[in-house]
Amino acid sequence: MSEKGRRGGEAEGRGLLAAVRRVLGMPDYQAYLAHLQAHHPGCPMPTEREYFDEFVRARYSGGPTRCC
Amino acid sequence: MGEDGASHSSTPVPRHPTFAHMQRILLAVIGVIGAGAWGVLALHRGETINAAWLVLASVGTYLVAYRIYSRFLAYRVFGLDNRRATPAERLNNGRDYIPTQRWVLFGHHFAAIAGAGPLVGPVLAAQFGYLPGVIWIVFGVVLGGAVQDFIILWGSMRRDGKSLGQMAKEEIGPLTGLVAMVAILAIMVILLAVLALVVVNALKDSPWGVFTILCTIPIALLMGFWMKVWRPGQTMEASVVGVALLMLALVGGNWVSHSPTLAPLFRHDGLTIAWALIIYGFAASVLPVWMLLLPRDYLSTFMKIGTIALLAIGLLIVLPPLQMPAVTRFIDGTGPVFAGKLFPFVFITIACGAISGFHALVSSGTTPKMIRQEGDARFIGYGGMLMESFVAVMALCAATALEPGVYFAINAPLAALGDTAATAAEAVRNWGFALTPERMTSLAAAVGETTLIGRTGGATSLAVGMAYIFSGVLGQGLMAFWYHFAIMFEALFILTTLDAGSRVGRFMVQELGAHLWKPLGRTSWYPSIIIASAAVVGGWGYFLVQGVLDPLGGINSLWPLFGISNQLLAAVALCVGTTLLIKSGRARYAWVTLLPLAWLLTVTMTAGYQKIFSPEPRLGFLSHARAIAGQIAGGTIDPTKGARIIVNDRLDAAVAAIFMVITVVLVIASLREWMAVARGRKPAVSTETTFVESAYV
Repeated sequence: MSEKGRRGGEAEGRGLLAAVRRVLGMPDYQAYLAHLQAHHPGCPMPTEREYFDEFVRARYSGGPTRCC
Repeated sequence: MGEDGASHSSTPVPRHPTFAHMQRILLAVIGVIGAGAWGVLALHRGETINAAWLVLASVGTYLVAYRIYSRFLAYRVFGLDNRRATPAERLNNGRDYIPTQRWVLFGHHFAAIAGAGPLVGPVLAAQFGYLPGVIWIVFGVVLGGAVQDFIILWGSMRRDGKSLGQMAKEEIGPLTGLVAMVAILAIMVILLAVLALVVVNALKDSPWGVFTILCTIPIALLMGFWMKVWRPGQTMEASVVGVALLMLALVGGNWVSHSPTLAPLFRHDGLTIAWALIIYGFAASVLPVWMLLLPRDYLSTFMKIGTIALLAIGLLIVLPPLQMPAVTRFIDGTGPVFAGKLFPFVFITIACGAISGFHALVSSGTTPKMIRQEGDARFIGYGGMLMESFVAVMALCAATALEPGVYFAINAPLAALGDTAATAAEAVRNWGFALTPERMTSLAAAVGETTLIGRTGGATSLAVGMAYIFSGVLGQGLMAFWYHFAIMFEALFILTTLDAGSRVGRFMVQELGAHLWKPLGRTSWYPSIIIASAAVVGGWGYFLVQGVLDPLGGINSLWPLFGISNQLLAAVALCVGTTLLIKSGRARYAWVTLLPLAWLLTVTMTAGYQKIFSPEPRLGFLSHARAIAGQIAGGTIDPTKGARIIVNDRLDAAVAAIFMVITVVLVIASLREWMAVARGRKPAVSTETTFVESAYV
């Protein structure tokens, strides 16, 4: 659990640019890939374009977001 | 702010005794300085007073309140516990549930809650002087606004990030959920109308402003295609390019305004600009998000954070003297900016910055899903709102730093001022403030406008105030540039609210519409999208056009309606918060929300009643309608125009009445629920998710 927790927090500590992205509500593809690798190793990785589309949809629809 | 949190468990234990001791001394010193500053503000009766006193009094109060009251709320009332895993940790999906470092989340949350409200409200309320406004902004936030944001954030965080509407439905009852939804939609319509009116008044007859704002549309489209098509996902890159182009557009605006051939193309009256905004709002609601909404969202967030930081730095460097009196004679209700006495109207005019119901939607939106540790909620929920309150204090400083004569010549409606600088100066002098016609013409020339008279809505006077502050730091020669920078910044993020609000409103209409006819609920079905978008945009567009045509200036009727509706939403949030406390066995602490709730109900009900029934035609909608009917009978007004004004007055009265009825229904429903729990007819069952141990501790 603690190993998982530390990994979950990993994405946030990747420098100023990632922080600025998060503040502005921008997608962070690298962080998402890192998350998938850490938590769902078997899951297919989306392309950056797929990830962007899904991010935008989730941000403005208010509907539930799916895992993977 | 934010001196602890990461290391907290349920009972705070000082890490080091001497450190805690030092902190106490420091807090006492801050408290004494803050109290001293309040003393200076209250007792000062001279010509001018420095803005530093306002800053000291407010920041001192924030720090003491944060350290003491928010700590009490966090650990005694809410029982924040870092050992308890947050939704972000348990449900981490790398997308919306995502543990976020608390400073980053603070920025994210602040960017989401801070809008035009805290900038416009205090500027309008400056007609009472700086003292009533600053007292309400500061004490309203520490006892009301920040408590509301914090409790909703806590409630949502303990329920996997549920929305305010869901919590209202589940905690109080299904009727409440539906009423809350209708209330949110109604508020949205009024909010968007009044904000659009602020933009119209700032842009009318201004080729520079219109050109710059028009440029934001192709810039946004370019950014959209960049992020979506050419360089998928490269939002940062596209945004930096967008901001650079925006600055070019700003400089280009100056050139356009001086070109005899181009300037007339971009000079438009209020009605034309209003229609352009309506068409734009509809397009933004119907087009895919990535084309307009998303890029504009990034652009305006960039500008918002940058400009607010710049304003804070500028204000602290310049520390302008406040030329407005502490309290003006207009507390008697005869003020030209908006009608109504100090009580209740200062509490209605300033909503955002003191307490803003709208925040409850953000605090139960993206933020609760991103909190890394429970203890962070205090810094983000309570602290974030204090930050917004400080933005309101800065806006108040910028407006009251102007000479009162200039302030009233900009913010009073043309009907009271007349069309020329000479008539305006005469009117302002009759109100008891010094002003020469030359002052207004030279000021307009200095900021690159033909006239500044009667530009109601607050944006223009705020921009002049900001231009003074910025040029005080960076040289007087750039006054016109800074003025238009401020106008562009205000218009940009108001238009983003218009985009986003129209779209959210569209989803709500579709959701409500599905109760009537199922297919309306299909959010990606084009006929449904168009019908729902037209309903929302038509709603705010109607009020906008009426506001532009309104002889009293529009702001006079729409801003109080917005204030009342926003406070109503705050009342909903506080009812939900109280219910959460009572049902989770914390009834003895229910006063933390009941106190601000009682105050809000008092001011909204009084203001609502006065707006509808006051015999004074400037204040009461119905008596204004009667006065116009008299004018029609006497032949002093065109009958068609008069009839339109009467319909509109009655509609405004009905809207105010609906808001009041909704509030009463909600409060009664909540009271019944609370009594049921208190009398033991219903068990006090907490709906919080069960405790899961956090891995972060």
